[in-house]
Amino acid sequence: MSREQQVLYEDQIQQIDQALTRIIKEAEAKCALLVDKDGHLVTRQGFTHTLDTTALAALLAGSFASTKEIARLVGEPEFSVLFHQGKKDHIHISLIGERTILVVIFDDRTTIGMVRLYAKEIGETLKNIVENAGEHRQDGLELGKEFSESAEAKLDDIFQDKF
Amino acid sequence: MVSINYAFKEIISKIVYYGPGLSGKTTNLQYVFKEIPSETRGELISLATDADRTLYFDFLPVNVGTIQGFATKFQLYTVPGQVYYNATRKLVLRGVDGLVFVADSQRAKMEENLESLQNLKDNLEEYGYDISQIPMIVQFNKRDLPDIASIEELQRILNPNNIPYCEAVAATGEGVFKTLKTICKMVLDQVKAKKMEPPRQVKPQPVEVGIPVGVGVAAPARPVERPAAPAAPVFNGINAAATEVPTLSVSSADRIGTRDLEPAVISDIPANVVVSDAHDERKAYREEIPERESSDEPIEKAVLKGDSTDTAMKDKYDVGHLPITQDYSEPDHRAHNRASTFASSQDYGYNISDDEPTHVPDISLKGNLPLRKPQMAESRKVKGKKRKFTFFGLFK
Repeated sequence: MSREQQVLYEDQIQQIDQALTRIIKEAEAKCALLVDKDGHLVTRQGFTHTLDTTALAALLAGSFASTKEIARLVGEPEFSVLFHQGKKDHIHISLIGERTILVVIFDDRTTIGMVRLYAKEIGETLKNIVENAGEHRQDGLELGKEFSESAEAKLDDIFQDKF
Repeated sequence: MVSINYAFKEIISKIVYYGPGLSGKTTNLQYVFKEIPSETRGELISLATDADRTLYFDFLPVNVGTIQGFATKFQLYTVPGQVYYNATRKLVLRGVDGLVFVADSQRAKMEENLESLQNLKDNLEEYGYDISQIPMIVQFNKRDLPDIASIEELQRILNPNNIPYCEAVAATGEGVFKTLKTICKMVLDQVKAKKMEPPRQVKPQPVEVGIPVGVGVAAPARPVERPAAPAAPVFNGINAAATEVPTLSVSSADRIGTRDLEPAVISDIPANVVVSDAHDERKAYREEIPERESSDEPIEKAVLKGDSTDTAMKDKYDVGHLPITQDYSEPDHRAHNRASTFASSQDYGYNISDDEPTHVPDISLKGNLPLRKPQMAESRKVKGKKRKFTFFGLFK
């Protein structure tokens, strides 16, 4: 919906970060990401320096959307958990609430059972955090005329037409 | 759906290039990727067939810079244009904030243009979106080819509502930036953060599909069905407003709000897990266990997979220390010394010495799983000789 906006505040992100850090510590994972179903990266924790997390978020959301459609075709409401097993690294993807996806990347230092256990346990915490997001009240960002004008200048600067 | 992240101070919008097959959507993105400064864009991800036809989507993240303290980013997507890929086109359209309809100016392609435009409207309706409310620009591409329709003709047929349009030759880049600049401005003009209001207590009610509509300052007044409102979806600050949030019910089987399953369900039911498996050996190992217990085959056959010593066998079958991808054809020590592209655990932000043994807590998902003690099988005579077999009990 073009009119919708997803607004995330700092204290929510901090709570989410704490939960993700807990997953990484307890399950001995490499990193954890929280991704919106639209492909936006909400936040990440752990060792993500070598990862293009922007592209990863978009691809994971696309993958999740794709498997959701597959589930519908086979008569399942949804596949709430996906697991990709690789040679060294593996990815556990699970749905949090209605709109977000928890992605945990781990290797042979831990086991899928550990990751699934803590992903489920801490997933409940994450679900509560994101569902209570609407109760947070902060002064919103007013994006008025100045924003549009500044944005226009930036866009003209970057997208310089040779023609 | 525009994402405003106060923690990371960023605003992210999604722009989708739509249009019939071979109209120039991917070419647009490739030109943008090639020409804009590398520090303002990420990698161009293309999920395509061997024949370079878009299979799922192309994706290019663009960062236009910091505006009023917020990093303003656009995620550019293209969809596969071929009619065959309608299912994946729909998936890419989810959460769209701006649309670029890339039309092929050739006369012979007019019907495909119309079909694609109608398909766009249909797919948006399935999500409950109204195409007239989404920032959109039409790009008349391939203006350099012969036998093209005039702008007036194209406007009359494809753009009767006279939304902004742009002429382009994507192969050379002409008009590409102009199109992108225009759609970016249109999207940003609509980005407004709302002040939070006390959330309305909504009793969750079963609905077929519910997609909340944000009630913005410029919320459109349009006739919509008003089924029972679902529970307020997460992350939607606007939906927390005290004002009643109308929902749209759509006929699609896309059951966004009707899941009965708990999120992040850790289920023992394999049907809930889709596995992309790189190893098949593990499966064979699991299938072998019941056969070995009941077969009359000599025990030596089952032992052949690994070390023949009792200790090694017990270690291999000890569930508590069973890593997920253990390859039983290679010795244990090689698995632990395998080089990883990641650095040590200290990079994860907490100190765990690599010398310390990894502590794996006892996790019993099914209850106690005691290992059976090795039992001596009955000796049997084989060709006049007695043989003693040792069975290694496994968990029940």
